[in-house]
Amino acid sequence: MNYRFQFGVVWENFPQLLEGAWLTFQLGVFAFAGGAIVGLLGAAIKTYGPWPLRLLVDTYVVFITNTPALIQIYFLYFGLPEVGLRWSNEACLLIGLTLNAGAYLTLILRAGFISVRVTEIEAGQTLGMSLIQQIRYIVMPHIAKSIYPALANFFIVVLVMGTSVGALIGVDELTGQAINLSSVNYRWLEYFTVVAGMYVVLTFIASIGLALLGRWVFRVKARIF
Amino acid sequence: MPHLAVSDVRAKYGSLEVLKGISFSIEKGEIVALVGPSGSGKSTVLRALMGLTPITGGDVDLAGERLNYSSSREVRAARDRMAIVFQQYNLFQNMTVMQNLTLAPLKIKRWDRAEVEAEARRLLGLVGLSDKIDAYSDQLSGGQQQRVALARALALKPQILLLDEVTSALDPELVGEVLDAIRKLAAEGMTMVIVSHEMGFVREVADKVVFMDAGQIIEAGTPAELFDTPKTDRAQNFFSNILRH
Repeated sequence: MNYRFQFGVVWENFPQLLEGAWLTFQLGVFAFAGGAIVGLLGAAIKTYGPWPLRLLVDTYVVFITNTPALIQIYFLYFGLPEVGLRWSNEACLLIGLTLNAGAYLTLILRAGFISVRVTEIEAGQTLGMSLIQQIRYIVMPHIAKSIYPALANFFIVVLVMGTSVGALIGVDELTGQAINLSSVNYRWLEYFTVVAGMYVVLTFIASIGLALLGRWVFRVKARIF
Repeated sequence: MPHLAVSDVRAKYGSLEVLKGISFSIEKGEIVALVGPSGSGKSTVLRALMGLTPITGGDVDLAGERLNYSSSREVRAARDRMAIVFQQYNLFQNMTVMQNLTLAPLKIKRWDRAEVEAEARRLLGLVGLSDKIDAYSDQLSGGQQQRVALARALALKPQILLLDEVTSALDPELVGEVLDAIRKLAAEGMTMVIVSHEMGFVREVADKVVFMDAGQIIEAGTPAELFDTPKTDRAQNFFSNILRH
């Protein structure tokens, strides 16, 4: 192999890569948070809702989980202007990722809903809790604890795989920045070596943050690796 | 007028009638024990009173007021006045002992925090668990969890306490501590309906024993009447079988 790595130009433009990484992180957090809200609603409807609403949620989940995220985001990016909505690239990506994550999180959270012990729900009922209070005080803490690892894993999926789709609709997140910069200097291998390392660091930080959050808030003995 | 009057209460699981017209009454401060073979409907009586199993007929009066189970609001009103402890304790796993006791009084009743916490401490003292106030349920033995469940039920100041086989899931050496806690409640004048297989305990604390079989009351009377001189064949068979060992 005769290729000589020249990282100098990458370090010169490192601040721009950092900006990209920051945007990636923000997109990941917001898409996951939005997806968690959508997923919680979806899972609650799938568990307690009337059949027309359940059918609606099922349809949404089937369509989203069986099509690539890229195609869903292209639909928003190219389709919305046709109906008169001109949203920024970032907005399209964020909404697309939120809807995508929401479908997967509906399924993940649904597992949490149906794994709550019936007896604990009955204890809540006999203490006088309404359905909302049962979800708030019994189901949610149970979900947080029992499926925390699955949720944390999915956050990493959104953070790394989800957001990088943005590069294809011109969002300058980490991958997008790397493509922009390397197409100027043609140091593709150097840029993507560094970017790969940055993704690892990003997910590592996120994993530690999630593990600490789990320990403090939900008493989950979450492991980082 | 009795404190709790149950008259001709019926309940179904699907098409199976599990309560075929149950009637009994309790005076304030009394303890009534429901006994009988498995599947006789004892636990269903308690579940029906709490609105966990729908009542399909009959009336329930508590302290002179008719309880109505026709809407979820009415069911919650009934649950407001009664408390139940289950066989499987059913503590909230993600909360400490103190949080288990104070959740409903604080978040659902919205009572004053200082008073609720003082009452919770008093109740934990009563069941002998003052030192476990910050423990989580997975750090407690079965007997300790069941005593927390008792205290949690009492924290809502129920007018009547329903105990559904509260010692059946416990190791034999832990049964005593839970029964002791119930004895203390009895001494405090708590009105209770108890479903139990601990016949010695029933005989000791109950004012009245109701023997059930196949969704019906077969015989009722004082513990001495039922244990020593049962009138019906079924009661005779049941008591001679279980009192033999």
